[in-house]
Amino acid sequence: MNNLSNNKKTSEAREFITAVMAVVWKDMRIEQHTRQTVSVMVMFSVVTVIMFNFALESNLDAARNVSTGLLWATILLAGTLGLNRSMALEQENQTMDALLIAPVPRNAIYLGKVISITLFTLALEVILVLLFMVFFNKPMWRPMVLLILVLGTIGYIAAGVIVTSMTIQTRSKEVLLPVLLLPLALPLVLPASMAVAAYMFPQQPVWGEVQSAVYIVIIYDILMLAAGFLTYHFVVES
Amino acid sequence: MVTSPRFDKVLKILNWVAVIAVIVTLGIIFFYAPTERTMGNVQRIFYFHVGSAWVGAVAFFIALFGGVMYLWKSEKKWDTLALASVEIGLVFLTMATVAGSVWGKPAWNTWWLWSPRLTLITIALLTYAAYFMLRGAIEDDDRRARFAAVYVIVAFVTIIMAYISVRILRDIHPVVVGGVAESAQGAEEGLQEFSGLDSAKMGMTLMASTMTFSLLYSAWLMNRIKLQRLSDAVNDLKMQVTARLQGEN
Repeated sequence: MNNLSNNKKTSEAREFITAVMAVVWKDMRIEQHTRQTVSVMVMFSVVTVIMFNFALESNLDAARNVSTGLLWATILLAGTLGLNRSMALEQENQTMDALLIAPVPRNAIYLGKVISITLFTLALEVILVLLFMVFFNKPMWRPMVLLILVLGTIGYIAAGVIVTSMTIQTRSKEVLLPVLLLPLALPLVLPASMAVAAYMFPQQPVWGEVQSAVYIVIIYDILMLAAGFLTYHFVVES
Repeated sequence: MVTSPRFDKVLKILNWVAVIAVIVTLGIIFFYAPTERTMGNVQRIFYFHVGSAWVGAVAFFIALFGGVMYLWKSEKKWDTLALASVEIGLVFLTMATVAGSVWGKPAWNTWWLWSPRLTLITIALLTYAAYFMLRGAIEDDDRRARFAAVYVIVAFVTIIMAYISVRILRDIHPVVVGGVAESAQGAEEGLQEFSGLDSAKMGMTLMASTMTFSLLYSAWLMNRIKLQRLSDAVNDLKMQVTARLQGEN
């Protein structure tokens, strides 16, 4: 009896992971062929960075000091683009309905979307980090900075997928997403920005100085993923 | 019957009790509570500020409870509870913020500053204001209630993170309860103008003000729920009339 229930649990888990991987693979294939999501995000970000440069041209020192904040602002805004594009695709081609008809657990769809959109956003961030290093002359390549960027992105997209899945079903569609998502993302961006900023100086901070900020980011990630896991079912069922 | 007679009776009593409590508490705040030695009479704002902030927080807990219950039971009354509670919670939070800002000008010489706690209260205000934007954009009743419930849960995660951040990151917001050491540290930095609850009378005034705000919240909540039920009844009637007219055609 015990063996049977154990087997059932492992096969359920395996099915779950297969479903998640299928969603991720699907998004990757679509992106590979159409290249619409990442390219839009990159273009938007390049233009935004150049706009920031022009807007702050008169005070380049100030610009350099706020560059970590600008980096996060750009990620947040470009992120809403990516989220909108990715979820709108699902709706346009009715692939979401197809996914829902299949006996796939709803949170597998959620996790799959989170992973794929996070990967797109991380691809964007690689380019953003390079741009910021070039334009603002800040050492964004430091490993801790990259780690915090990754952690922050995961949390942001975790919240983003829940909210975007709701907003594309409303009357206002894309317009509503920043209004809803950006306030939710602020408790994540604040500590993340603080932590990244600490590494911008030649004098590197000790772990003790940034650890609380990093822990807050990690807790946010976990809580958002859990919230999405538990509630995604209610968001997609009609 | 939109509401039962017992509901109406409780509502009426609660309204009266709340009004009397507000008048009595105003008296307590201005005449019974002693004048604080550092800040003088400005400190009395504290009783309004803490009372409304506390009740605002409770309101959001109740909204979360309503949201979760709606997702579980799919009964409209839970959505109504959540909606009413978020509305009133937003009002209390705004009151607390304005009161704090008015206190801040004499205390810190600024109406506003981006300390972690104040930043995060702003986030809370934005988040719950967005709740209404979400609700406004959905036409289908059930979907609106479901999405609103999910959003309230996600928004609550944001509030938890706000609370955690405040406890962990440094702040110049006066810590009155449970942080004598922090108050002392703040005072050393020249940022602390409030010496804490150094009188039993102050403690009692604070308790009175918190109880009054709770009564006020309950009264407003019941009134709002009744309003919503009336509004739903009107919509039902409208639909019935429309259906009947179309049936005749």
